[in-house]
Amino acid sequence: MQLEIRNLSKTYSNGVHALKDVTLTIPQGMFGLLGPNGAGKSSLMRTIATLQEADSGSITLTDVGGADLNVLTQKDATRRLLGYLPQEFGVYPRVTAEAMLDHIATLKGIANGRERKELVSGLLQKVNLHAVRKKNLGTFSGGMKQRFGIAQALIGNPRLIIVDEPTAGLDPAERNRFHNLLAEIGENTVVILSTHIVEDVTNLCSDMAIICLGEVVAQGNPNDLVADLHGKVWQKFVEKTEIDTYRTMHRVISTQLKGGKTRLHAYSDGPIPGFDAVIPDLEDVYFAKITERMEVTTV
Amino acid sequence: MFFEIFRFEVAYRLKRPATYLYALILFLFTFLFVIYGSGPASEKTNVNSPYAVSQFVVVLTIFGMLIASAIMGVPVYRDIEHSTKNYFFSFPVTERGYLLGRFFGSFVVLLGIMIVGLLGIAVGSLLGPVFNLADNTERFGPIRFRDYAHPFLLFVVPNMFLVGSIFFGLVAFSRQVFTTYAASILLFIGYLLGSTLASDLDNKRLVNLLDPFGSYAYDNATKYWSPIEQNTLLAPLEGDLLTNRLIWGAVALLIFGLTLFRFSFTRFLAVKLGRKQKGAEEPVLIPSLASLPKPTPVFQTSAYVRQMFRQAGLEFRSIVRDPYFIAILLGAVLFLFLDGWFGSQIYGTPSLPTTYAMLEARNGTFFFFVLIVLIFYTGEVVHRDKSVHYDTIADALPVPDWMNYGAKLLSMLYVCLLLCSLVLVSGVLNQTVKGYFNYEFGLYFRDLLAIGFTQYFQLVMLAFFVHTLVNQKFTGHIVTLAVYIVIWAVPQFAEFGYRLAIPFSGGGVTISDMNGFGHYLTGLFAFRAYWYAFGGLLLVLALWFWNRGSDTAFKARWQLARQRMGRVSIAVFAILLLAFVSMGAWIYTNVSVKNRYYSADEGRERLAGYEKKYSRYRNALQPKITSARVNVDIYPDDFKAVAAGQFVIVNKGDRPIDSLHISMAPDNFHRSLTRFTINGTAPGKVFSDEAMGYTIYRLSKPLNPGDSARMEMAVTGQYVGFANSGNDRDILSNGTFFNVDILPGFGYNGDAELSSDKYRKKYGLPIKEWSLPTQTDPRGLRDFLFTTDANWVTFEGTISTTPDQTAIMPGELLKTWTANGPDGKPRKYFKYKLPGFSDYFFSMCSARYGVKRDKWTGPDGQTVALEIYHQPGHERNLDRFMASMKASLSYYTKNYAPYPYPVLRVLEFPRYASFAQSFPTTVPYSEEFGWVGDFRDPDKTDYAYYVTAHEVAHQWWGHQIMPSRTRGANQISETMAEYSALMVLKQRYGADAMPKFLKYALDQYLRGRSNEDKFEANMLDNDTRSYVWYQKGSMLMYALQDYIGEERVNKAMNDYMKAARFRQEAPFTTSLEWYGFLKAATPDSLRPWLTDNFEKLTLYDNRITKAEAKALGNDRYQVRLYIRSETQYYDKTGKEVSKGKNPVVADIAVLTADSKNKDGLTIKVPLLMQKRSIRPGEQVIDVTVKGKPVKAGIDPYNKLIDRVSDDNLVNVDLL
Repeated sequence: MQLEIRNLSKTYSNGVHALKDVTLTIPQGMFGLLGPNGAGKSSLMRTIATLQEADSGSITLTDVGGADLNVLTQKDATRRLLGYLPQEFGVYPRVTAEAMLDHIATLKGIANGRERKELVSGLLQKVNLHAVRKKNLGTFSGGMKQRFGIAQALIGNPRLIIVDEPTAGLDPAERNRFHNLLAEIGENTVVILSTHIVEDVTNLCSDMAIICLGEVVAQGNPNDLVADLHGKVWQKFVEKTEIDTYRTMHRVISTQLKGGKTRLHAYSDGPIPGFDAVIPDLEDVYFAKITERMEVTTV
Repeated sequence: MFFEIFRFEVAYRLKRPATYLYALILFLFTFLFVIYGSGPASEKTNVNSPYAVSQFVVVLTIFGMLIASAIMGVPVYRDIEHSTKNYFFSFPVTERGYLLGRFFGSFVVLLGIMIVGLLGIAVGSLLGPVFNLADNTERFGPIRFRDYAHPFLLFVVPNMFLVGSIFFGLVAFSRQVFTTYAASILLFIGYLLGSTLASDLDNKRLVNLLDPFGSYAYDNATKYWSPIEQNTLLAPLEGDLLTNRLIWGAVALLIFGLTLFRFSFTRFLAVKLGRKQKGAEEPVLIPSLASLPKPTPVFQTSAYVRQMFRQAGLEFRSIVRDPYFIAILLGAVLFLFLDGWFGSQIYGTPSLPTTYAMLEARNGTFFFFVLIVLIFYTGEVVHRDKSVHYDTIADALPVPDWMNYGAKLLSMLYVCLLLCSLVLVSGVLNQTVKGYFNYEFGLYFRDLLAIGFTQYFQLVMLAFFVHTLVNQKFTGHIVTLAVYIVIWAVPQFAEFGYRLAIPFSGGGVTISDMNGFGHYLTGLFAFRAYWYAFGGLLLVLALWFWNRGSDTAFKARWQLARQRMGRVSIAVFAILLLAFVSMGAWIYTNVSVKNRYYSADEGRERLAGYEKKYSRYRNALQPKITSARVNVDIYPDDFKAVAAGQFVIVNKGDRPIDSLHISMAPDNFHRSLTRFTINGTAPGKVFSDEAMGYTIYRLSKPLNPGDSARMEMAVTGQYVGFANSGNDRDILSNGTFFNVDILPGFGYNGDAELSSDKYRKKYGLPIKEWSLPTQTDPRGLRDFLFTTDANWVTFEGTISTTPDQTAIMPGELLKTWTANGPDGKPRKYFKYKLPGFSDYFFSMCSARYGVKRDKWTGPDGQTVALEIYHQPGHERNLDRFMASMKASLSYYTKNYAPYPYPVLRVLEFPRYASFAQSFPTTVPYSEEFGWVGDFRDPDKTDYAYYVTAHEVAHQWWGHQIMPSRTRGANQISETMAEYSALMVLKQRYGADAMPKFLKYALDQYLRGRSNEDKFEANMLDNDTRSYVWYQKGSMLMYALQDYIGEERVNKAMNDYMKAARFRQEAPFTTSLEWYGFLKAATPDSLRPWLTDNFEKLTLYDNRITKAEAKALGNDRYQVRLYIRSETQYYDKTGKEVSKGKNPVVADIAVLTADSKNKDGLTIKVPLLMQKRSIRPGEQVIDVTVKGKPVKAGIDPYNKLIDRVSDDNLVNVDLL
């Protein structure tokens, strides 16, 4: 089973061109979707999650029980396979976590009460909300709510899991716990992890894509993408006031404060005088791809 | 600091669209109200008279309260809501500067919005004459600045300051915007409670002061203004109005000051602490994801249905746990309970809390809450997922669209049921507390489920549709509100009532103990089915456009809708469309083909058309009936009646009659003249206008003066199908009551003419000053007041009905029998005959009656059988009716003349109409008039006793004395019936119990003349004004018997009876003849009073300013009264023309504390009650009394027509 996205385009009524001819193949396993804010990640995710129509293109889930599934038209069938954690979501404030999760489980077709109860209880334990299961969701903190979201996305053994910025608002320990949870998800599942935290992708994903301004700018195995950059990223520590000068001279892909000085990373096929070679990481890949399209100023 | 915050606040407010929305709503409201001329009652009062403007502005401030709660509650709440408080107060602002700036910034904007409302009145007045929607361009007076400035300063500023301070302070302290809502409800309840208390005139002062808006004080200060005064005067700032404004101004300042001085940032910023968490639970072993059960999901319709119910339950719980919802519901229940508790009062006396009354309470203020709940919570439900951002989860769940959609609709259905159940709870509670245990649960359920619920849910369908299509909560609320307003207000303003074209119209039916839901349910359910089909169409449309997913653009929704228009939903849509169209066709057949619908305007146009065409026959000489034998067959189950009659007609005129004019207005009773013969042969029809029901027949042989002929006619009438609206009630399953008017009448019917000059002008008819000719008009003197068709007649007849019912006509019951009717079914027949003569006015009634019988025996041995025909179960007050019949017979036979018949009946008819009427021997009485009165409190008026006495008095005044058809003649029958009833009441409850009664009469007379549409006429000329013949008449006659003695009045009336009773030949009696007897009985000293009151329009202004008493020892006191007297003469337009210079005779009284008489009725206890001749102006009177003086005054019982009746008594200061 894999997800094939072909030539997907979407323009919103306000004129924003959110997806431009996006073509992606997403295999089973963890797939990272990186991109700056407003890149079109959420638009893509929502389209896959059947929440939004596309202007053109197709999304196909191949080889589901021997047949292909057109996500854009066979919404019901898609939803039956789907676990979705939206970037922004809310819940009925005057309902307890347990009741709400139980309700969503019902809506996901889990009709057997005993099984549902067991499942809900287990998921609440998995996301560390078991102790507060009797509390109204309205009283939850941001992190608790996010964990609730994770739990609901996992109900019903989904084969297609879409998690949009899942670790936003989680503390480091919770984030680890979530990463472990994702790692537990079965092999024969497509998991799309949308994030702007490069580290998440590094840690978790065997495949990834970077999108920017609605277009896919890179895709592939993270290690391959990093390998492509070998010998092309150069670094130098400079004074803050000098940054602009360097920008005019080189293709600076990122600047970062380090111990009072600013560390520049620049992209070049050959060595740059005064710059040191550096072993690139996924972040360099990300910035290198993004800066091809837009100005990024990281301080 | 203040100024910066103030400026910021004003600027902020002016940027909010809501500000303009409120202003626009107020503007439209006032503008439409004025341009449609929906203001003052009298046609002579300008729509924009200073009186009307002020009155409107007061009401506007009550609406303004709602706007104030939205504006004045939020200035400080905003900092909590948007969490700006966390940094805002770190800026260098002072608490006072902050509060004052925020308050006045918002307050100025609030006043601005109110000014826009006032502007609406002014613009409406300007454009009113241009658009002429009020049908009277002359009713728009000049636009004067002071007419607006006065109420603005007197009401708008103080009221807005009061409610603004309250709302502002509450939020500043409670930090809950919710409290403003609670406060508005409380203020509103205070105001409405006032209206309930105000129905008892004794509470007037209390209500004047308690009402925070000053509305009652204003009303009481101006309610007796004549139209001319309403057009010129502004309310003087004095008395209760001044006190009210001062009290509530002070309250407002106090609240404002309190807020200003007690507010502190620290408190305001304090973090609300939740409850302490329980200790962490035992750590549990966290299972691996793989170990969790992996149930196979079920995706099938039965599962979706179960899911829908679960989801609906969840939605419903979310609604009922919302604190605002709970608060709205509490308010609703409170009003429901209060409306049920105070219910409908007649003469200030409550009625029993019958189940139908409890059910009707839901149409009061409660309905306003229902609308709020339905609009706003439908919006909540529709937009809930989106507004809490749950949509991103919910919309991606593997459920069909209809699951979530249906669940939301279902949850609103639960809300409707909840609202209905409140009516049940409040009703049963009310009944229990009042000790009324006849709970009719069956009736509750049937009415609430079949009518109440279906009415509420059709509103939900509409709101659901609008909210779904608009797909934006706030805009959805506004649009829904606008749609509701268009649906309800426009037909109201435009007087358009064709329910087939008014979406979701069709409210309810009147429930009667006698007739249940009657035959009105068919029509109701037809309209329900029609509008439900329409609602279903809306719901299918809404389902197609239901927003699932994150893209709200129209293109995306259209894409989705296209996908959803599957075979099933299109089939459902088609079926609903078919149902809608076929129901519409069926209803149209019923209301417009089988029956007729005329809009108010069309109705008036028809009347005008009738007058234009046929008034030329006004003076066509027609014969008089002198003998009537009728056969009436009532078919209650078929809503049909057949009336046939054999009559003797006589030419009482001075020239031959060659043609008969027959008038029978077509209506939904579908009468047709099936037989019409003169002396056995059918006369030739020479003219026939079926639309107007006017036919002219030529007599084969002219009827010469003095000649008589035999006339036979038969009429069949039947209700067919159902009509657009209205309670056609002539024939009912149980409780049929109609009268001889079922048969056609002779000639042009002048009583049907349009009386409103406003509309007469519109249709090109001349102004109509009088309805009756002068007292010397020969034609008028020849006719009876109540019918031109007959003079005295002999009457007998047979009436038949179904065997389970009793049918009643006037007269003695000669025999009853059972036989098969024309339809072959058994019928019960009753034969009645009136001995001697009577006027041509007969009731025909049939119902399943219970009977109570008794007998009255006169001092001369005459016996009269007394019968009360009533609905079984309505036995409670029968003794009152019976006692009153006896007392009345005794008093009237002793003082006026013998009762000419062997029987007297009171009978009940269903409550579709609310009156009592007197036919010879028979008094039909509406079901809700006395039968269900609650007379347990002896202080409440025993109107069952009073009204019975009044109707029995008509057996003399109206049935033995028959006035001619001339001006002033109504006073003979109605004023004398009132006088008679007052005397019977006085005999029963004592003279000292009468003041309360007289005060109501005075109040209603003064209100009546202030609402006069034409001009006021005196006692001798008045031909149409009931406030003259009832209220003014009863006041004057009561005063007269008090001044010259009851004996003397009765002697005069006895003489009059002797002269005019059963007068056989014209000229028949007039008001002048009647007045002549009164005048003759009045001594010279009181002649000026008699002239002033009967021949002129005179009001008195007697008042006492101070009373001081000095103890003389031995329980004797010297009392000094500082009084003032004034007599004012008015012209007929209501303008004061001069003041009286002569002394007036009035009571001077010193009273001790009120006491109770043997019936437990509160009565005044005079120590001294003395008639004195009092000159105009200020004066001091000294009197000596025995006993402790408590109150003193002039004319304390309001025998004189006193403009201000409250200042006639003061408390005595003991020196």
